[in-house]
Amino acid sequence: MTQIEFNCPVVNQHRLNDQFVILTLKSAAICDTAQPGQFVNLSCQEFLRRPFGIMAIDRATNEFQVGIQIKGKGTKQLAGLKIGDIVSILGPLGHGFDMTGARRIITVGGGTGVFPLYFVHQTAKELGIERIAICGYRSVEDAILRDEFKAIANRTVFASDTGGLDVIGHAGHALQIALEQLASNTIGSQPTLDQSTFILTCGPKIMMQKVAEMALANGLSCQVSLEEHMGCGIGICLVCVCKIKNHETAEINHQRCCVEGPVFAAEDVVW
Amino acid sequence: MVNTHVQIGELTLKNPVIAASGTFGFGREMQQWNNLSQIGGISSKGLTLNPRLGNDPTRVAETASGMLNSVGLQNPGLQAFIEHELPFMLGLGTTVIANIAGHSLEENVQMAMQLDQTAVHAIELNLSCPNVNKGCMAFGSSAHLIQEVVRAVRQSTTKPLWVKLTPNVTAISEMALAAESAGADAVCLINTLLGMAIDRRSRRPVLRNNTGGLSGPAVKPVALRMVWDVAKSVSIPVIGMGGIMTGEDALEFMIAGATAVQVGTANLVKPTACQDIINEMIMIATAEKITSFSQYTGTLKTW
Repeated sequence: MTQIEFNCPVVNQHRLNDQFVILTLKSAAICDTAQPGQFVNLSCQEFLRRPFGIMAIDRATNEFQVGIQIKGKGTKQLAGLKIGDIVSILGPLGHGFDMTGARRIITVGGGTGVFPLYFVHQTAKELGIERIAICGYRSVEDAILRDEFKAIANRTVFASDTGGLDVIGHAGHALQIALEQLASNTIGSQPTLDQSTFILTCGPKIMMQKVAEMALANGLSCQVSLEEHMGCGIGICLVCVCKIKNHETAEINHQRCCVEGPVFAAEDVVW
Repeated sequence: MVNTHVQIGELTLKNPVIAASGTFGFGREMQQWNNLSQIGGISSKGLTLNPRLGNDPTRVAETASGMLNSVGLQNPGLQAFIEHELPFMLGLGTTVIANIAGHSLEENVQMAMQLDQTAVHAIELNLSCPNVNKGCMAFGSSAHLIQEVVRAVRQSTTKPLWVKLTPNVTAISEMALAAESAGADAVCLINTLLGMAIDRRSRRPVLRNNTGGLSGPAVKPVALRMVWDVAKSVSIPVIGMGGIMTGEDALEFMIAGATAVQVGTANLVKPTACQDIINEMIMIATAEKITSFSQYTGTLKTW
């Protein structure tokens, strides 16, 4: 029997802007086993817990971070937590990104999707994998975590729908440019664009679908982190299902975003 | 020491707390962080003869003190249950109840006949799922149809037969009486209340199925009243449920007339809810110098 629920103290609360807050929490158990792409389910004053992708962990201090976008009552309350407050947390939960065999990763994040991808970069850096971060935002005002990605990635591309950053347009557009550059060998340290380049994406569904199609068209491995309204986060209520194709049987099944996901192989997802 | 055992017909449960169908899977996930031999029983995810994909998402909407769901009986089908899930469940050391939710009388009969050949401890006939087009709640809303389907299922199995009732009726005690007269060994209530959530901005229902079943503390007062009503009407045991989050809640249901209880939505927010509730009940009974949980059943002193 293992423990799933932990009472974690808030050790820091950092407001990025009027929409986003980064909460730092402490739990040795969660930090010990967390993998990039996994999530934690935080208790709040509303009835259901709120799931958040793990943004970063620090194994030296046993602290981990989650990025919160204030959307409703639950996230507003969580974003307003103070240092020393205790939060009941289930985690780490779900099936994260697999970087086995990767020599280069390209993360493509949109909006709040950039939070869990930061943890991907942390881990890839530890593993000595080359890292390219592509982040897409609505506007410059929403362009969170740019300094953090600049500090951890070998190369960054920031896209904004309304301009003012590296690329005008969405993150998929920025990925297309990056792939062309990589193929013509003008950026990156690896010689070619091959199977050892993994595309890992998290963000709006429409963006991930485009990224997945682009990756597969270029013969690159792609993993997507799906999101669906969740009940329990632990696989018992069956509400957060996604349509996933079994390649051997061509059968389409409902799989749980919280257990089999949130990260799926792009070629298995029925969009 | 409190005697925690309760009797549901010929079946003895080691304690009155059963995990409710649809909130515990087949126990596989929950056994990672619970010693399931310490809970009173597990009612399986609702089963149909053939595998079901269930409804399209969105399948959940949070409400004040609860939630709506519209899963729509996603399950691997009876055969897969009997081959892969039931042996596992029987190894957990607790009472195993198969929840069946056929879309027709014939489907329910066929499932009961197949389950009769297994070692499952009881069958819970689900006449109350609000999220499917056929069967289930359509049966459970008519005393006549309840009688018909319960009688047919009764004749196809010697297993203890529990009937799970819907609260979406005018007089639930009439439904319970119909089940009793057709040979049910116990009635379980309440399943979820049919409800709706609307996104004001898009002017669309939050649930892809438009409507869903309401559960959680929001429904507890309704459930308590219905358990009390039914317990006064029938002489078979009543298994009460609806928004139980604590040991205190569970004991309130027993006082209202329930012999045992089921814990559902609480499992979703607290993975150790069943075990925590049992422990709390034992603490309360000990403090109150109650020697057996069954002493609580039907002890409501009405005004």
